[in-house]
Amino acid sequence: MPQRYDAVVIGGGHNGLVAAAYLARGGLKTLVLERRHVLGGAAVTEEVFPGFRFSVASYVVSLLRPEIIRDLQLPRHGLQILPLDGTFTPLDKDYLWRTDDHGQSMREIRRWSPADAEAYEEYGLLMVEMARFIKPILGIVPLDPQRPDPREAMPLAGLLRTFSKLPRRQQTAFVQLMTMSAADFLDQWFETDPLKATMSASGIIGTFLGVRSPGTAYVLLHHYMGEIDGAFRAWGIPKDGTGGISTSIAEAALSFGAEIRTEAPVTRIEVRDGRATGVVLESGEEIQATTVLASTDAKVTFLDLLEGGTLDRDFEDGVRRFRFRGSSGKVNLALDGLPDFTCLPGPGEHLRGAISMSPSIDYMETAYDDAKAGRFSRKPYVDVVIPTLVDPRMAPPGKHIMSCFVQYAPYDLAKGTWDEGREAFGDAVVDVLAERAPNIRNLILHRQVLTPLDIERTLGLTEGNIFQGELTLEQLFFSRPVPGYARFRTPVRDLWLCGSSAHPGGGIMGAPGRIAALEVLRSRRTETARGWRPRWRRDGDVGPGDPASALPAEAQA
Amino acid sequence: MTEVTYDAIVVGGGHNGLVCAAYLAKAGLRTLVLERRQQLGGGLATSQITPGARVSALAHTVGRFRASVARDLDLYSHGLRLVQPHVRAVSLRPDAAPITLWGDPDQTASELARTSRHDAANWLELDRRVRAHASVLDRLMSLTPPDPSSPALADVLGALRVGLRYRGLGTADAREFLRVLPMPIADLLEDNFETDGLRAAVATRGMRFSSLGPRSAGSTQVLLADSAGNDGGLAGETVYARGGPGALAEALASAARAHGAEIRTSAEVAAVRESDGRASGVALASGEEIDAAVVVGGVDPKRLLLDLVEPEALGPQLGWQAGNLRLDGVTAKVNLALSDLPKFTGLDGDADRDRLRGRILVAPDLGYLDRAADAAKYGRISTEPWLEATIPSLVDPLLVDGAARSGVRHVMSVLLQSAPYTLRDGDWDACREELGDLAIRTLETVALGIGALVTARQVLTPVDLERDYGFTGGHPLHGEPSLDQWFAWRPLLGWARYRMPLDGLYLAGAGAHPGGGVTGTPGRNAAREIVADWRRRH
Repeated sequence: MPQRYDAVVIGGGHNGLVAAAYLARGGLKTLVLERRHVLGGAAVTEEVFPGFRFSVASYVVSLLRPEIIRDLQLPRHGLQILPLDGTFTPLDKDYLWRTDDHGQSMREIRRWSPADAEAYEEYGLLMVEMARFIKPILGIVPLDPQRPDPREAMPLAGLLRTFSKLPRRQQTAFVQLMTMSAADFLDQWFETDPLKATMSASGIIGTFLGVRSPGTAYVLLHHYMGEIDGAFRAWGIPKDGTGGISTSIAEAALSFGAEIRTEAPVTRIEVRDGRATGVVLESGEEIQATTVLASTDAKVTFLDLLEGGTLDRDFEDGVRRFRFRGSSGKVNLALDGLPDFTCLPGPGEHLRGAISMSPSIDYMETAYDDAKAGRFSRKPYVDVVIPTLVDPRMAPPGKHIMSCFVQYAPYDLAKGTWDEGREAFGDAVVDVLAERAPNIRNLILHRQVLTPLDIERTLGLTEGNIFQGELTLEQLFFSRPVPGYARFRTPVRDLWLCGSSAHPGGGIMGAPGRIAALEVLRSRRTETARGWRPRWRRDGDVGPGDPASALPAEAQA
Repeated sequence: MTEVTYDAIVVGGGHNGLVCAAYLAKAGLRTLVLERRQQLGGGLATSQITPGARVSALAHTVGRFRASVARDLDLYSHGLRLVQPHVRAVSLRPDAAPITLWGDPDQTASELARTSRHDAANWLELDRRVRAHASVLDRLMSLTPPDPSSPALADVLGALRVGLRYRGLGTADAREFLRVLPMPIADLLEDNFETDGLRAAVATRGMRFSSLGPRSAGSTQVLLADSAGNDGGLAGETVYARGGPGALAEALASAARAHGAEIRTSAEVAAVRESDGRASGVALASGEEIDAAVVVGGVDPKRLLLDLVEPEALGPQLGWQAGNLRLDGVTAKVNLALSDLPKFTGLDGDADRDRLRGRILVAPDLGYLDRAADAAKYGRISTEPWLEATIPSLVDPLLVDGAARSGVRHVMSVLLQSAPYTLRDGDWDACREELGDLAIRTLETVALGIGALVTARQVLTPVDLERDYGFTGGHPLHGEPSLDQWFAWRPLLGWARYRMPLDGLYLAGAGAHPGGGVTGTPGRNAAREIVADWRRRH
């Protein structure tokens, strides 16, 4: 007799766990199924080399929604985030080093250009205002423009009203952020190339776009949306690596009564009469559930886990059109000591923050041109962090770990395979580091290279896209992942999407998991509740645009 | 001299300036058009390349011109004659068969079917969708954009009109509309076609005159706008004005005069005069001053706001924004006089002559377009530029009939991209001829021996476009057509309603919504607003 749950969550990544925690908190008998032996998905800490523990994939945190930290009381379950102070951009002879100490940053930028220093103030203020305005979007259910639900239209209407009241310059900035390239946007303010390059870098992370590609400016905002313990634009490293976050969320879920099983890969989502009724594990074990939530990405969920023919062609085409195009890799180094930068020798505070290999806009753009031509950047953009400086227990005493996020590494190579190219890619990264810090070559004890292919294999992220689908204009809000199905619901009733493939997308935010879970709970209430609801939300309605309408006729019958 | 006063002065006799002037005069305003050059039409000009041989100076087709404007101004009785060959474009490839895009989608599809049934089927479907989506954009283009801070009733009504057309699309197309609008054109075409040459041929329409590459978000919107209000569809329009594009300018001028407008050429405006916050007229370079309660800029927004208006009138914020307008051009123009019709790869002379009457593309594949656009990012001329050429003499032999004895049988008009306005090293005056050679070298890849047929050539670098035609930054569209300079934020958010910071000062050029291209729409929309203000005041 198979077990029965109110809700089964496929995937124990941070979003899956957040969803599970909220569902359990809402009183549902909830089970999380994780394919791997560790929880966390891309937010995972593993002892890759004896004594060296790495945040294998994602490595910093900033956007984790404060309401989640509150609701799930994550600190009580061991969440601790250590500040990551400043960004250091090494150059041949000089460097650009900004820290959270405003005065220091201003002096540093003034050293490069007094004009930029002035602009920097104004820019910062503007961006903070922008972030305040845009943040609510991270918390709402995207309405379907074809069949707007008043309840979902309300927050948008509010947003529009706020927008119309904003001062003109803020309105302009908002439009530009949504449409411009990071480089063009920054060109309006600054002249210092390394400054522009380093800032623009945040605009390209995880996307197959360059700093001059329209649509990259928007991500600049994320740096100002960051919020840790209410402190704006702070970046941090979770204690025990990003896995620490996942563990604390898992703890929270368990405390609310959720069950979690690892090494329990799901092979199929059971569908009967257009309703998800449970899942089947690789072991053949069947688990029944009233509701199934998938934190896996859109492709895995709809094309791999559902039996062919469950969905209608149009929807499936929509999923196939959803773009992943992984563009980033990761190189994790176990070091015997600290790197020594020629432009600023010796150990020091500058190593405690992010170290950004982004000397100029052209450097960044050239790296992108390589990717467009189907090869990894010969001189890639590298974002380096040395977590052991803030969290020494990640490595044996005196030793260090270095996490290098690398772009570009296109999933599809024009020549050869990633299995052949892996080490060459790793070498390219080390070369870029060695250019500025020659001693690094002798420090490397171990090296782990993660190509997009490896990310897909180990973490199950299609094409190695760290955001479960590119964060581009046409794949945001009501178009994420498929126009008409951005409301976490899927064409299969009782099957929900709760991962980064859903609004508002990737990053260690937890927003998709949270909103999806709240929607599930709400719909269960309304289903049992009596009284009027808009036509197109009534059960059994399969009017155009309604999720169920994307099912073949017989499935609807 | 006698003191004639005017109600309205239009600065710049480009096609939008003339359209605006004609509508103003038609509405009863005493209107004066002042054109810096001797010739009217701005980028819409026919120029003599050798004695007796005329060619389109810059723009070579006029198919986007708004039909309602032509009707309102009765241009046909002012001598306008349009010719529309039934071929729209042919993409020539050095080592593959040409791809022909016909006015009739079925004909295109049936030819595509020979290489790919998949592409043939999708051609018809995508063509249908492009027409549907473009019709929504067309509604949007004829609107005056709303003021985001204080939407008026008129804006709501306008939104309704667009909304109705949008609803009319039906759920599937409507969803698709929102999805594709911000999309890179390459992605859209890769979704639909498997033949790379076909993708590239269409992709050029999302890049024309712009620094957008095929993988830049927003290039799809450029293609849709190009098909809005004409029957371009997926293949795009190709319509010639008999006598060259200048003929359209002449028809517009004649219509404007017929309504009582005055037009002066070789009259360069040096400044817009103001008295207590109102535009009060203009001062010419000659020192002459002319009064008018309404001053309309047919010029680009940078020229108008930064060169012609006093900085104090703008204030620092607006001045800074205007300075940041993105209108650095990447387009160069090469015009050729040919002693004979060249032999093109894959086309055998007379049998295929029809295929050459439309736009002739050298854009073999998406990667090629990508690299061509990339060069501009680093301030370099692409070594392998993409070209859009026409041979107007094929549809309008009169263009060369005066040159028979000098051995000119045809004229060819070639747009070349990318040629960035700002070269990182070297300056344009030094590389002008080099650019001409580059154009011919590139043509040689698909028309072996064309170089030997060239009897005369004109080369217009982006800097020439700025000097001769007054396009700031050499941008023929008065500003990038990208999504950040679009609709209610073209040229700037809050200044998209054709009214400029000075009372009585207006923008009617391509720098205003709905942007560049030979449409006449900005001029028409601006006139509508000007007349409304005028009636309110009198």
